[in-house]
Amino acid sequence: MAAAFANARYSRRRRGNLIATALSIGAALFGLTWLALILIVLVVKGVGGLSPSVFTEMTPPPGGAGGLLNPIVGSLILTVLAVLFGAPLGILAGTYMAEYGRYSKLTMVVRFINDILLSAPSIVVGLFVYEIMVARMGHFSAWAGAVSLAILVIPVVVRTTEDMLLLVPNTLREASAALGVPQWLVIRDVAYRAARAGITTGVLLAVARITGETAPLLFTALNNQFFSWNLNAPMASLPVVIFQFALSPYADWQQLAWTGALLITATVLGLSILARMLASKRVLT
Amino acid sequence: METHEHIVRSYEEELSALNNRIAKMGGLAEQVLGQSIDALEGRDPDLAGATIQQDEAIDELEKEIEEQAIVMIARRQPLAYDLRQIMAALRISTDLERIGDLGKNIAKRALAVVGEQQPKQLMLGLKHMGELALGQLKEVLDAYIERDADRALKVWYKDEDIDAMYNSLFRELLTYMMEDPRNIGLCTHLLFGAKNIERIGDHATNIAETVYFLVHGRAITDQRPKGDNTSSTPVALRSAG
Amino acid sequence: MSLAIHTDVKEQAPAAVEGLEAKVSVRHLNFYYGAYRALADNNVNLYKNKVTAFIGPSGCGKSTLLRILNRIYDLYPNQHADGEVLLDGENILRPGQDVNLLRAKVGMVFQKPTPFPMTIYENIAFGIRLYEQLPKAELDTRVEDALRRGALWDEVKDKLDASGLSLSGGQQQRLCIARTVAIRPEVILLDEPCSALDPISTAKIEELIDVQKRDYTIAIVTHNMQQAARTSDYTAFMYLGELVEFDNTTQIFTNPRLERTQDYITGRFG
Repeated sequence: MAAAFANARYSRRRRGNLIATALSIGAALFGLTWLALILIVLVVKGVGGLSPSVFTEMTPPPGGAGGLLNPIVGSLILTVLAVLFGAPLGILAGTYMAEYGRYSKLTMVVRFINDILLSAPSIVVGLFVYEIMVARMGHFSAWAGAVSLAILVIPVVVRTTEDMLLLVPNTLREASAALGVPQWLVIRDVAYRAARAGITTGVLLAVARITGETAPLLFTALNNQFFSWNLNAPMASLPVVIFQFALSPYADWQQLAWTGALLITATVLGLSILARMLASKRVLT
Repeated sequence: METHEHIVRSYEEELSALNNRIAKMGGLAEQVLGQSIDALEGRDPDLAGATIQQDEAIDELEKEIEEQAIVMIARRQPLAYDLRQIMAALRISTDLERIGDLGKNIAKRALAVVGEQQPKQLMLGLKHMGELALGQLKEVLDAYIERDADRALKVWYKDEDIDAMYNSLFRELLTYMMEDPRNIGLCTHLLFGAKNIERIGDHATNIAETVYFLVHGRAITDQRPKGDNTSSTPVALRSAG
Repeated sequence: MSLAIHTDVKEQAPAAVEGLEAKVSVRHLNFYYGAYRALADNNVNLYKNKVTAFIGPSGCGKSTLLRILNRIYDLYPNQHADGEVLLDGENILRPGQDVNLLRAKVGMVFQKPTPFPMTIYENIAFGIRLYEQLPKAELDTRVEDALRRGALWDEVKDKLDASGLSLSGGQQQRLCIARTVAIRPEVILLDEPCSALDPISTAKIEELIDVQKRDYTIAIVTHNMQQAARTSDYTAFMYLGELVEFDNTTQIFTNPRLERTQDYITGRFG
């Protein structure tokens, strides 16, 4: 056996191993570098504008001082509404696909369409909602914005709910069915409980996704320079404001745009970390 | 070598039942042997009927033990000590059954010569030998109940005494028969009786070996003391007194 | 005890045992996975308050047969049974049968321990609450009773609030058994309950089967023949979807009537 180690073949393999390892480490570092650069730029450029006034003052006219209160509140409202509309629909649809209709043709069709919707260009969604809501109502509104975001939330939640429920072992369902538990209780008390962490993760990921969506909001909620609670009127949102301010020639608007971008990035980062923590906490049997 | 009880209680109960059956069988065998020694003294002529019944009970118990042992082996897959317990029960029951038969035989022969003129010396010798054998049997059965290999070993060695007694009885009976041919009938019965007692002693020794194996998991390595040399006793026909 | 071997004769219906009531009676049962027939014309009785074991090589249909007795196969498409399965005289395969009510009477414990993702207390109470509205004190008593029957009470009485998943494998399986007896079924089906467990856990479960059979009728599927010999009163030997021989356990393991049975038991094939 000792002879094998002196083999030319063996040393060639070792060389190949070293090269492959080096290449993969290099690729990883390459990707990480860009990510790090983005974060660094965001932090450096955004931190400068970070102050309490960002959270308390409305967006200013060009050349004036102000904050990001209305886009922050607007984004929060839009996100909450979108999740309220989209998450229940998504969870229930995922439940149907994994529990009631697991072997049915309808499920296969729905899954196929869902996967398409998952990667649908968000601008198309925005135009669609423009057509059915904004044009009908005659004006832009937060409702329309929420609906368009909801349409983006649903496929993500459906996908993760179905996947997480499918991960619940069938033996667990059989064990509860063997007690005479009716199906809906098996789902509610056993399957949901077992998949709880995963489904919550799915919702969080959906939120992370829509936090940065700009295109659909351009056609639905538009924007609002002033602070507004009116859901029937255009509403400001962070991505749109960033879009508007970044393209402008005004320095303070640009600064606010950087700060806004930093806020969005921090939010998405926080949500992703939270989702990951939840996912690892509960281990399914 | 007693440990915790088996987790499955019914198994433990089955092993106890087996143990109790052997104890019961042993008690009956002691009774049969005791009664046959009494018969030798001519004390109770109704003994024959009683001993036959007891022997039937002994045979019945042997069947039960055999059946229980086979079922337990099939159903419980006994290992180590449990296996030795069951094997021991099987072997001891066989020896006890033989002891029962031999005892019954002694009683019958004793009754056969009850009317005859019984030579005191010989009868005494026979009775003494019988009591020795009964003592061995009691001792070895106690050793089984207590799972005491040392007591069993003592029984194993003591068999020499019974064999020695048998040797001398054999010579005496030969002499008696040679003195007067009219004694031959009586003496032949007595000879068989003595032989049976000696065989009982051997069976008790078998049981002692089994008990030793049960406790230690291996056979006695010593040479079995064989004192019975009657098979090579020369018969001097022409020595007339 | 003679060991006569008889010629290979398949029995059409098992001899009914004198003086024993048949709690469950299977008559001319066939079972299909799609077009494939897994069980062919099975006839067997489960006697009341007795333990019946089903043995046979892999794929012989013993688990399939067990899963028909509480109609758990209903959860999956493309599986259907025809024939009769009588529980106390009523055919449970008929279309009008309320499946959940059936499963309340016929409980099942599976090969892999599956505690619910809840506390130990909740695992037991979950099933009870389904059928009965009980005040807390009474519920506590029922939970304790169930855990005692599952030979688990002494080990968990101080940690009823711990997660069911925090127990060891053997304890989890006893939890599943306790959960099953908590709803007071009449029949308990055990599908290879010990195959994932160590010998001591197995012995504890065998002891609890011995004790609980006084109150329940028990059927156990096991690929471990020695377990069948230790725990059951009656044994059914199955092969390729057919019930080959059925008799009391002592008879099957000391002197089976059919050569095929003897071959399987002695390890000469299969």
